[in-house]
Amino acid sequence: MDLVWELLIILLKIVVVVLLFAFPIGSLMTLLGDRKQSSLIQNRIGPNRARLPGINHPLVGIPHFLADGLKMIFKEDIIPRQANRFWHTLAPAISLFPAIALWAVIPFSDHYCTGTATMVDYRDVCVDGAFYNLFSISNLEAGLLYVFAISAVSVYGAAIAGWASNSKFSLLGGLRSSAQMISYEVTMGLSLAGILIIYGTLNLNEMVVVQGQLLWDWLPMWGIVVQPLAFFLFLAAMMAETKRAPFDVPEGESEIVAGYFTEFSSMKFAVIQLSEYVATVFVGSLVSTVFLGGWQVPWLYGDGFYFGNTDEPSIPLPYWLVIVLRVGSFSIKTLFILWLQFMLRWTLPRFRYDQIMTLGWKILLPLSLANLVITAFVVLVLL
Amino acid sequence: MSTHNVTVVERPRRNLWVQSYLPEVAKGLAITSRQFFKNLLTGSDIQTVQYPEVKRDYPLRYRGLHRLTYRDDGQVRCVACMCCSTICPANCIHITAAEHEDTSIEKYPAEFVIDELRCIVCGLCVEACPCDAIRMDSGIHAHPFYERDKAFLNKDYLLDLGGPSTAVQGGVLGSRSAR
Amino acid sequence: MPTLTINGKEITVDPGTTVLRAAAMLGIDIPHFCYHPALSVPANCRMCLVEIEKARKLEPSCYAKVGEGMVVHTESPKVIAARRAVLEFILVNHPVDCPICDQAGECKLQDYYVAYDSQPSRVAVPKVGKAKAYPIGPRVVFDGERCILCTRCVRFCDEITGTSELTVAERGDHSEIRTFPGKELDNPYSMNVTDICPVGALTTRDFRFKCRVWLMSSTDSICTGCAKGCNVHLEHFQGEAQRYRPRFNPEVNEYWMCDAGRMSYLELHADRLPSLRVLEDSELSWPRAARKVAALLGEKATGEGVAFVASAQSSCEGLMAGREFVRTMLDDAPVFWTGRPDGDGDAFLIRADKNPNRAGLAGIFGVEVLAQDAHRLLQELERGAIRVLYMMDSTLPFTSDEMKRFRAAVEKLELFVLQAPRRGGLDDLADVLLPSTTHAEQDGSFVNEDGLLQSFWAAYRPRTQALADWEVFVRLARGADRELSFSDFESLHGALHAEQGAAQDAGE
Repeated sequence: MDLVWELLIILLKIVVVVLLFAFPIGSLMTLLGDRKQSSLIQNRIGPNRARLPGINHPLVGIPHFLADGLKMIFKEDIIPRQANRFWHTLAPAISLFPAIALWAVIPFSDHYCTGTATMVDYRDVCVDGAFYNLFSISNLEAGLLYVFAISAVSVYGAAIAGWASNSKFSLLGGLRSSAQMISYEVTMGLSLAGILIIYGTLNLNEMVVVQGQLLWDWLPMWGIVVQPLAFFLFLAAMMAETKRAPFDVPEGESEIVAGYFTEFSSMKFAVIQLSEYVATVFVGSLVSTVFLGGWQVPWLYGDGFYFGNTDEPSIPLPYWLVIVLRVGSFSIKTLFILWLQFMLRWTLPRFRYDQIMTLGWKILLPLSLANLVITAFVVLVLL
Repeated sequence: MSTHNVTVVERPRRNLWVQSYLPEVAKGLAITSRQFFKNLLTGSDIQTVQYPEVKRDYPLRYRGLHRLTYRDDGQVRCVACMCCSTICPANCIHITAAEHEDTSIEKYPAEFVIDELRCIVCGLCVEACPCDAIRMDSGIHAHPFYERDKAFLNKDYLLDLGGPSTAVQGGVLGSRSAR
Repeated sequence: MPTLTINGKEITVDPGTTVLRAAAMLGIDIPHFCYHPALSVPANCRMCLVEIEKARKLEPSCYAKVGEGMVVHTESPKVIAARRAVLEFILVNHPVDCPICDQAGECKLQDYYVAYDSQPSRVAVPKVGKAKAYPIGPRVVFDGERCILCTRCVRFCDEITGTSELTVAERGDHSEIRTFPGKELDNPYSMNVTDICPVGALTTRDFRFKCRVWLMSSTDSICTGCAKGCNVHLEHFQGEAQRYRPRFNPEVNEYWMCDAGRMSYLELHADRLPSLRVLEDSELSWPRAARKVAALLGEKATGEGVAFVASAQSSCEGLMAGREFVRTMLDDAPVFWTGRPDGDGDAFLIRADKNPNRAGLAGIFGVEVLAQDAHRLLQELERGAIRVLYMMDSTLPFTSDEMKRFRAAVEKLELFVLQAPRRGGLDDLADVLLPSTTHAEQDGSFVNEDGLLQSFWAAYRPRTQALADWEVFVRLARGADRELSFSDFESLHGALHAEQGAAQDAGE
């Protein structure tokens, strides 16, 4: 019985995380981020014509997004002559798979305490009960390694899509994206190594718990506080990983039409786009988990706000409210990073290909190495 | 070789601060964020005109759909000289000339068709017309058509858009002074 | 041999040469209206006035003869001023209706006005009205207001045709070109006046309002109206012939051509064969059709009873290829010839033989082939001696009665292949239809009645599947996996010239 119950809960978590969080935000970003946000930056109105039946209001253009989806479904699905039909059909799925699978390890809040939650030494403790993983799909011990592994797989989607299309533009896009993603993976891993040394864990939830510690009893020990350089390195590397502007040479419209998905249409096109946006949202959630304290709300612990290392909460709060605040905090941080990514996209021009390679290998990599060495040294001296 | 009118422009010196690109990114973000929040909250900088509901005043020399002007007696002013169809870079004007029974008019267009799908609205036909017969000042947008046939504007349609020309056929006697 | 200086350049010319001709030899163009090299010199337009040093006033260069040591200025301020004055004078009563006028674009008055005058009219009194769009002859329209009274047309009718229909009537600014009472401009060369008219006063009825001259492209061609082979400019627009204009050739037609020949361009687009057809199959490409036809010929066109009909309308190249085709594909079948029937001729340009290439046909197939004409063919057909007929043309010199007999005889044939540009009322009887091009759509040459080999060039591409005669033969041979001794126009043309040269040497 317990096993069935467990499975049902996991299924429910998958449904909630993927279908109610990652997909909606990811696909809404196509509209709100790419179209509406850009229009405001550029002194335009943006999509405002489509209407839902019976509602005479543009609703910030969301009907457009629905209409686009509807249109995508009814478009003709074209497979170019001479293309490899098998891989051409499979490529969108290969792109989408890692984008979804990554979400397995993201903690939306702390483990649920079946007893009474309280705080000891800036950590939640559960009195008369145990912690029960309810807010991440899988509480994987090697969570961060899992993230690296799966995001390394995502390069296959683009490369295969580019190769299978039998188009020069697609092939160029596929090559560019593989080169770029492999280059930036190095920096991505190394910039997080410092944080691993400090937190001493690969488990993402544990990382967030550690970020609840306070330095000098007032400053939350978020990743951005202890590893500011790594934060920027990681953000840059992750943006390159997701092929977002200004790192969007794999789909540089002015040069190679749409890069590796030039020859995709209908829902295949939609799926590739969607996986990109879901991956973008994931970057937001990962950055907020590792560097911005994840679900942590400063000074908020199991039973309320603590200002200073006291026994009783300064402002006591019911446990359900704490959970709501934590999930909300995580979501807001994720959305903020997303917003920032789109802001950067509409601010910066596309880098040249050689600039991207120079940035990745000659600047970000040495910096992340230096960051790692210094962190290791400091940790060795202090502890 | 004289060099006195050569201005030496110094290469931009890029120190580490500039080279790191971060300050420029920050400056850019400041600008885009400012516009984003300004337009999100007040919408004060938005330039968009909601076209079909709100229309901007067209400039006086706005080029819209063609029209054919007519003579005082309502006949088409065009004499089918083909100047417009010759100069048309899009090859969109098709004229069939015919003999007019009035020998003082002599030649007139039996057919005058403008393919608005091909027209690039350059206005060269108006410039080329020696008779002030074709004009583009109808003020009507070259709009899309639901049926391709409808985009071939014929003589009757163009004449309906037209009006009498202000020019005098053959000029006014004595009004043109010698240089 | 007087030597004179024109605009600082020296030239030595024959005595009696006019200054205008001497200047032309130096490449100096002197504006003129009334002067025409083939006509007498009236010097009435005054446009060609030039300054000759030591002369008291400006001299008309078309009339003034050269003298030893003469110093001429054709672009001096005085001359330019005179041209301006002449133009202004000519334009006093000119309606300036260039948009309507068909001459616009090739009008000398228009060109000179832009080059020299370019000023608005200073005349404030109403212009003198004259005849507009007056049908001065059955093929020519006259506009009195545009006329500048250069009298070229009058002199043409007096001196070239000798028919003298035209004269200048009335006086002063009421002067007008008119026909003599009871006459109209109706001679076989009447349309030449529209070519020599420097303005739009005389235009052809046929070309009237049809196409603006600046839109047309011009290709050098040969008139196919008769055996004279007048040189023409074939002027065409968007793949359609618009008119013929005579092309100067002192050995053949000088500046002129006859009205019938001029109108013969109308045949270029009339009655054309639309597409290939082999038996019932009419949606064919050339290679497929060639294989099918070659198979048909291989099956039926062997042994006795095969006949080939060459055409006097076809080019020498087509006939050369046809000769070789008969040798390789038709077992040296007997050759007949066809063409248009003879008509009236005259002593000037019109020949009784209405086929452009009968001399070429005789040169290529031998003179004896001329005896094997279409009437002989009809006899043979009615005798039942022919079962397979390959015709290179659908033009037949038959009366309607003979045509009926011919059709009846053709219906009994085993195989009737018709390779022709036009239907000619035979397309329904043919088993195989092979559309070929007119001379306007192919390069080639004709031999005219005087034995002169003249080339013409393709003006535009055919709108149908038509191919040049020689190419049809090459393709059919290829369809039977055989090669003729040439496969392109250059080698064929070279062979033709070699043969013609040899024939001429033998003749001499």
